[in-house]
Amino acid sequence: MADHILTPSSAFMDWHPPATPKLAASARETLTMASFAAARGKEQALREAISAAYGAVLPKSAGRVEAGGIAFVWAGPDQWLAITEHEGARDLEAELKEKLTGIASVVDQSDSRVVVRISGSRARSVLAKGVPIDLHPRAFAPGSVAITHASHVGIILWQVDDAPTYEAAMFRSYADSFAHWLFEAAAEYVSAQP
Amino acid sequence: MMKGQTGATGRPHMTSTHYSIFSVLREALRGHTGWGPAWRNAEPKPDYDVVIIGGGGHGLSTAYYLAKNYGPLRIAVLEKGWIGGGNVGRNTTIVRSNYLLPGNIPFYELSMKLWEGLEQDLNYNAMVSQRGVLNLYHSDAQRDAFARRGNAMRLHGVDAVLLDQAAVRKMVPFLDFDNGRFPIHGGLLQPRGGTVRHDAVAWGYARGADRLGVDIIQNCEVKGFIRDGGRVTGVETSRGLIGAKKIAMAVAGSSSRVAAMAGLRLPIESHVLQAFVTEGLKPFIDGVVTFGAGHFYISQSDKGGLVFGGDLDGYNSYAQRGNMPVVEDVCEGGMALMPRIGRVRLLRHWGGIMDMSMDGSPIIDKTPVDGLYLNSGWCYGGFKATPASGYCFAHLIARDAPHPVAAAYRLDRFATGHAIDEKGMGPQPNLH
Amino acid sequence: MRIACPHCGERSLDEFLYSGDATVKRPDFAGTTAMDDFVTYTFERTNPPGPHRELWYHAAGCHAWLVVTRNVSTHAVASVELARDVALAAKSATKDSAS
Repeated sequence: MADHILTPSSAFMDWHPPATPKLAASARETLTMASFAAARGKEQALREAISAAYGAVLPKSAGRVEAGGIAFVWAGPDQWLAITEHEGARDLEAELKEKLTGIASVVDQSDSRVVVRISGSRARSVLAKGVPIDLHPRAFAPGSVAITHASHVGIILWQVDDAPTYEAAMFRSYADSFAHWLFEAAAEYVSAQP
Repeated sequence: MMKGQTGATGRPHMTSTHYSIFSVLREALRGHTGWGPAWRNAEPKPDYDVVIIGGGGHGLSTAYYLAKNYGPLRIAVLEKGWIGGGNVGRNTTIVRSNYLLPGNIPFYELSMKLWEGLEQDLNYNAMVSQRGVLNLYHSDAQRDAFARRGNAMRLHGVDAVLLDQAAVRKMVPFLDFDNGRFPIHGGLLQPRGGTVRHDAVAWGYARGADRLGVDIIQNCEVKGFIRDGGRVTGVETSRGLIGAKKIAMAVAGSSSRVAAMAGLRLPIESHVLQAFVTEGLKPFIDGVVTFGAGHFYISQSDKGGLVFGGDLDGYNSYAQRGNMPVVEDVCEGGMALMPRIGRVRLLRHWGGIMDMSMDGSPIIDKTPVDGLYLNSGWCYGGFKATPASGYCFAHLIARDAPHPVAAAYRLDRFATGHAIDEKGMGPQPNLH
Repeated sequence: MRIACPHCGERSLDEFLYSGDATVKRPDFAGTTAMDDFVTYTFERTNPPGPHRELWYHAAGCHAWLVVTRNVSTHAVASVELARDVALAAKSATKDSAS
């Protein structure tokens, strides 16, 4: 039987992101991601283990913290998504499984989700066209997280900084639909650039 | 002619003229000063043979056929609001009999045949327009399903034509046939389907029933039932007590609350359905077109407005108004089907309350309470059923036995395992 | 109409799926009246015109099941609880009455 060698490929068929001073988008496809959820009755043990290993306090509600180069994103009641760059073949699933043995279930998400970064002064206006939540700074700021959808594509959305920079994680198979929507929503700001 | 006849109430009819070319000419010469009201605004009497609760399309047609086919009877129709102010004036006016299941096809075909003779029967212009109902298919599997449906219809003597893409293009060339996601491969056409002017149906039946001596009592809300042992003997209303030998409920949209007054709990949830009308345009859609890949259907009224709708909002509601997600969903369906409507302006939009039954099919049956009859569960298909619903309900009330074509619409069919589930969704009313 | 998810805050209706009347309780399948009880449970609804307790699923959000009390004649939402909390409270109430 022939060897089937799988080579990484982009989740996007058609990727022509806006790249202007006021609006830029990029795809983060070199991440390692793992989701984890506490075993029954082990919530406190999980918090302590994450704190001991990474110095991070897991957000109890929709929020995101960064510690030791890893972002911990609230991903629903009692569950989180850990994200970092895939540098040096780092494997978050293996790493967390070892540190959380018996206190949490850990599942690799690296190939299941794609993260799209959208930044610039127009980023909020573009997102507002497809996301049904309030993105005004008084309602959504760096550290905020929302599980919602953008033009029918389910996303986990968070804000990274005040630029503002946002990131949206979505299932890979929806990435192209998301991009299609994003580029269309961004078009007016891209063509209007002087 | 009915004029001058003595009705079953023993009182001469003083009202409506027989409508004809001669009466129109005569009135034209008299400056239209001689037209009387189309029906009397009756005062309630102490008792009747039959009291029908609900002066909507179904209640009025029940009264009409009861008086016409089983009279003489002393009949009253009690309406909480005014005639034409309920769901009969709040629908998208489509009539069709393109059903699949044996329990449904003969009933809806009887309704279609009654529509075809309605205007002559009632001497009233209800603008019955058999402009065709076209259900589009978008895949081979859907074509096969529609072929099956078409065959079932033809085996029951109903007209059905399976069209290929070229034939559909000829009828409605402006659809988005080569849409990447939902290409249009063809459609199932029922040429005899079409539209009927909905308020005229209410007015026509009201006039027809009135001319047969039925008392139509408006602003008369039923507040409770009067019982004698296991039997109902009358109703308490906002206009006093009214006795009756038999009481018939035709209050779809409110069936659960009226039935609750008689201690009944029904297999029904009330849901809201939205519909939309645009500004008037020149005629371009001949018939009724339904999208097969989403929930969207459209026709064009004689005034030129596009009349369209889609899915239920999906949650229990008595509010007569819906929410934005379904508005968006309907508009997305419309844009996928015919992008040219994207810049048409919406004139008005509304929400109506549907009696959603647990299998998507209606109930025409006696209740466990003696003397109390139930007509309910019309989901969002009540308008097209108006004539047959009244025809069969009248039969049930008069004979205490179901009309043969409505025999499957039993209240106990859920307990006995005889649900009539056209969509195969099970007991989830918001999915039918 | 918007629903305030206890986890996510107030959200648009299109993030939620409706799952019907929350007051119907699955009967005991071993009871002597199980057949009738299941017919009632599966098919009959009170369908009141006022306050209605109902199940919603935050499908495009945090995936929590919610028990929402809503006036179906006005669409005003009176309260939103986690279905888990409602179920646990019912369970402990049963336990208390049994002991």
